[in-house]
Amino acid sequence: MKRAVSAMALIGLWLPAALAVAGPKGGLPDPAASWEHLWRDVLIDLFIIGVVFLTAGLYWVFKYRATRPGQVGDAPKLDRLSAIGWAVVPAFLFMADDFYLAAKGWTVWNEYRNVPRNALEVKVTGSMWAWNFEYDNGVVTTFDPDAKEGEGLVVPVGKPVVLRMTSSDVVHSFFLPQHRVKEDLMPGRVTYLWFNPKAPGETIATCTEFCGNRHSFMWTKVKAVPQADFDAWMAKQKQDKKA
Amino acid sequence: MSNSTSSPGHVHHWETSVAPMLVVGGILFLVVFGFAGWFAYNSKMMAFVSAGLGLPLLLAGVAKWTAEGLTHKPLIEGVSPAALPIFIVSEVFIFLGLFVSYWTMRLSAGDNWPPVGTPTDFNLVLPIIMTVILVTSSLTYHVAEVKLGKGDLGGFRTWVLISIVLGALFLGCTVYEYSHLLHQNFGPSTNAYSSAFFSITGFHASHVLVGLGVFVAVLLGAMKGLTNKYFSFCAGLYWHFVDVVWFFVASQVYYW
Amino acid sequence: MSAPTSGFNLKEWIFTTDHKRIGILYLIGSIAAFALAGIMALLIRIEQGAPGPTIVSDNFTGGDQYNVWLYFHGAAMILGFLIPGLTGFAANYLIPLMIGAKDVAFPRINALSVWLFWAGIVVALLTFVIPDKPDIMWTGYPPYSISGTRGNTAFYVFTVHLIGFSSILASVNFLVTVIYMRAPGMGWNQLNMFVWSCVTALIIQLIFVPVLAAAVTLLLFDKYLGTHFYDPANGGDVLLYQNLFWFYSHPAVYVIFLPAMGIFYEIFATMAKNPIFNYKAAVYGGMCVIVLISGEVWVHHLYYSGMPDWIRIGQMVSTLLISVPVGLMTISLFGTLYRGAVTFNTPMYYGAAALYLLLIGGLTGIPLAMTVMSVHLGETSFTHAHFHFIMGIFATFSVFAAVDFWFPKISGRMLNEGQAKLGFWLNFIGVNITFWPLFIIGVEGMPRRYWDYSQFPAHFADYHKVATIGAFIVALGMALTISNWILSAIKGQKAGDNPWGSKSLEWTHTATPPGPGNFPKDVTVDASWTPYNYH
Ligand code: HEA
Ligand code: HEA
Ligand code: CUA
Ligand SMILES: [Cu+2]
Repeated sequence: MKRAVSAMALIGLWLPAALAVAGPKGGLPDPAASWEHLWRDVLIDLFIIGVVFLTAGLYWVFKYRATRPGQVGDAPKLDRLSAIGWAVVPAFLFMADDFYLAAKGWTVWNEYRNVPRNALEVKVTGSMWAWNFEYDNGVVTTFDPDAKEGEGLVVPVGKPVVLRMTSSDVVHSFFLPQHRVKEDLMPGRVTYLWFNPKAPGETIATCTEFCGNRHSFMWTKVKAVPQADFDAWMAKQKQDKKA
Repeated sequence: MSNSTSSPGHVHHWETSVAPMLVVGGILFLVVFGFAGWFAYNSKMMAFVSAGLGLPLLLAGVAKWTAEGLTHKPLIEGVSPAALPIFIVSEVFIFLGLFVSYWTMRLSAGDNWPPVGTPTDFNLVLPIIMTVILVTSSLTYHVAEVKLGKGDLGGFRTWVLISIVLGALFLGCTVYEYSHLLHQNFGPSTNAYSSAFFSITGFHASHVLVGLGVFVAVLLGAMKGLTNKYFSFCAGLYWHFVDVVWFFVASQVYYW
Repeated sequence: MSAPTSGFNLKEWIFTTDHKRIGILYLIGSIAAFALAGIMALLIRIEQGAPGPTIVSDNFTGGDQYNVWLYFHGAAMILGFLIPGLTGFAANYLIPLMIGAKDVAFPRINALSVWLFWAGIVVALLTFVIPDKPDIMWTGYPPYSISGTRGNTAFYVFTVHLIGFSSILASVNFLVTVIYMRAPGMGWNQLNMFVWSCVTALIIQLIFVPVLAAAVTLLLFDKYLGTHFYDPANGGDVLLYQNLFWFYSHPAVYVIFLPAMGIFYEIFATMAKNPIFNYKAAVYGGMCVIVLISGEVWVHHLYYSGMPDWIRIGQMVSTLLISVPVGLMTISLFGTLYRGAVTFNTPMYYGAAALYLLLIGGLTGIPLAMTVMSVHLGETSFTHAHFHFIMGIFATFSVFAAVDFWFPKISGRMLNEGQAKLGFWLNFIGVNITFWPLFIIGVEGMPRRYWDYSQFPAHFADYHKVATIGAFIVALGMALTISNWILSAIKGQKAGDNPWGSKSLEWTHTATPPGPGNFPKDVTVDASWTPYNYH
């Protein structure tokens, strides 16, 4: 019993040190990629914990089956030291893992919240049940999910986009699954999120805060196009607006 | 209906009481369906019928309960003075919930406080009078308890009655104050301050009302010569708690 | 031991103040809520089985129908089934028996609690017949819940009030009972794990339910009296409600989790004939620590709600640290099996499954607890799968395991083992088929509370279809399990006083089933007694 305790103590000291080795660094900030990287690490971490516990549990369940009627268990009685050891050592191991996860999570979180200075700013208004996008030159776009008509949110590739968001009625949430980010919109407050459209293509943003009857239909196209196309598109929008 | 044994020895039959079910029925009709009728469905008819059903049920339940409490010997005696403080813990958290809501609005308003619509000539003397009344009633109830301890049942009745009168006076002040404010177009929906004002003082007043109800139950029992020192102690403890909460209500809501 | 004398007497049941009968009244109410909420789950699953309207009328009214089902499913499962099933049924039936008391401290208040709970269920059921059906989800967020005439918020609020008041009274009652009515000689370290788990859960309930009560009361005032607590246009605050709500509702998950663990400790110790591994670590380092920190983590439900960044980070750390006390409890649970002599019967089947369910459900809480992971995973099917595994399966199984385990004591008869085991396997296989697909599409972005998801890739429909099939397997298993209880209670084989050979008072010192007053002879225990004295 004491051997087991000291072995665990050893792991407890070694593990945090080993895990403290930092992850990859450098390059342009790309929250979505960092998210995926972190997700892999978290899965591995949890998989190990799960496998250790589950193997022990299932192995004991099957190994220690009663073989004759009236049989009782013969678990050794814990002496004081091992009882304390079996509380303190695992507690520190778990804490080590928690702090490791917290530190990693915090790092990526900072990427999520620090908006690059050159970001394109778009004002988003959510209302029951549609999204409105207003660019800084006053161009407003929207999208109708029933008719599948409208421009939705159009952004240039390679330029960070920050959304300043508010709601005109109830709580909504702007969720961009492909960019691994969401944030709620509320009346009376402005919230923000940013993302980095790396490649041209079309994806969706959809509402993830319950807002009534047509909550499932409150989605919009999000299109990333090369800068030149974006400029042309924007010029056309301005034209249409004047007309 | 109830057939509790008079000895704490072994019980050989199932204990029953109708009182709890009457109380629940009363609450269901009076509060739930009454409120829904009046406010959610704008049906005075539904509200009055529900309340008409619920109120007698509730009163019958409480009366039955009090009678049983004063005549039957419980399984274990003398634990209610420990139970009531535990219950009060949860009451404290309800009030805390309300105060937190008030503080949130108050602190986020900055200089816009009190918000437009609040009367400038808020009566700040009345709360002081109300405080004096409530504190006095706590003291008079304490006197009642002392009398009871000395076995002076007559004195007990008198002092409980005085406490009840004072409590009613306090509620009277609230009614006066509310009607005065409503006349100045300061109602629950006027602004953020009025929301908090009516919710918090109203919630406190409802506690005064419950406390008064308990006092009446104690008094009615005492009229028949039935007393229970734990019951009257708990009634007092609850009243003192309501009294203490009032200090917070008054200082936060009126003078901050 | 003498069997109780009496035939069935309806008056003695509905006006009862006996804790055992009150426990059974709780059980009947909570299983009824479960069955109804389960049927709503089936409707939900059929609707989600394919994109586009399946059983709802069309795209424009479909939401209204679906949202009512989902509202009832969530509210009834948590408020109507699990909390009353554990701290109502199990706590009522077992605590006095386990501590050697004749009843609870305040039997009439106990009866008041159970009928308040029933009144709450009645009010919840009115959902289906009133105009303006509640559709505000079990979370009831304003401004939606206070806007317009739709979604009758009053019935939601009163359901919460009635059941909340019922649980506050129950908390007071049971805390006093455990403090003052333990058998002479019974120290705190000799209590059953289940009793400890209830004590800690009830402390949480006592403190946090009132905050919920305040939060929903203000909802009522805002909607019907025109106050402005949650109305930003008039000095109110939208996030205030969310904070108050989760300040209660996160601790509420431990009100469910702790007694569920308590039940499995009892089953493990009895079936493995072992004492609890490291009892004190689990009680003081696990349960008591959970009481202390459960109130400091609620913001993990508001990671994407626009709370200030510093508090999102702070509560990420405190949320992650919950894994420490839970981990100690887990070690103690698993360790109880070590060198045991395990008997496999239905309760132990559920126990073995619980090992796995606890890990899947608990560990998937960890990515959700990390702020940055949660801004993608939160509010998606991943969250669904997380809480269905830990709550909808692990804790739900604990109720089923508890009924199976104490069935001989409660009814005096044995269950039909074959049917019980078949029910178990259908339940276990079914839930895995139902909820694993939700993890996968959750990571890919399937949002919650969507009945239509045509905007997402086509393969989402396949996963949803699989989940729907799983739900029907569960329904079959549940129907077998519940009907087994009813049939066996009427005509099962007669049970002895202690069929599992347990050492706990409810088995060793009472008749089967226990009569009025519980114990034929007053119980006293000595310092060497524990409920787990197997060797
Ligand atoms: C019984 C109910 C129950 C329980 C016990 C839990 C337990 C936990 N829950 Fe869960 N949760 C819910 C019910 C429950 N939850 C519900 C109902 C919701 C959705 C509400 C709604 O929005 O409608 C929810 C949602 C929810 C969210 C919000 C997601 C979102 O916004 O969409 C989060 C985020 O942090 C979370 C986290 C956790 C964590 C960290 C635990 C921890 O307590 C888990 C701890 C357990 C373990 C970690 C496993 C065992 C431990 C070990 C093996 C030790 C070693 C482990 C480590 C060191 C990591 N839960
Ligand atoms: C204890 C809690 C609990 C339990 C047990 C369950 C059980 C189930 N849940 Fe539920 N669920 C929640 C709590 C729970 N759920 C909550 C809190 C939400 C969130 C709500 C919200 O978003 O607001 C949710 C949401 C939720 C959704 C999300 C819908 C959406 O977001 O759009 C789905 C979808 O698949 C679902 C499915 C299921 C299924 C298939 C089961 C199955 O396991 C159910 C199986 C049971 C039955 C099928 C009943 C069987 C009984 C009978 C057939 C009667 C037999 C009777 C006799 C013989 C007398 N649940
Ligand atoms: Cu907007 Cu959901
Ligand atoms: Cu939580």
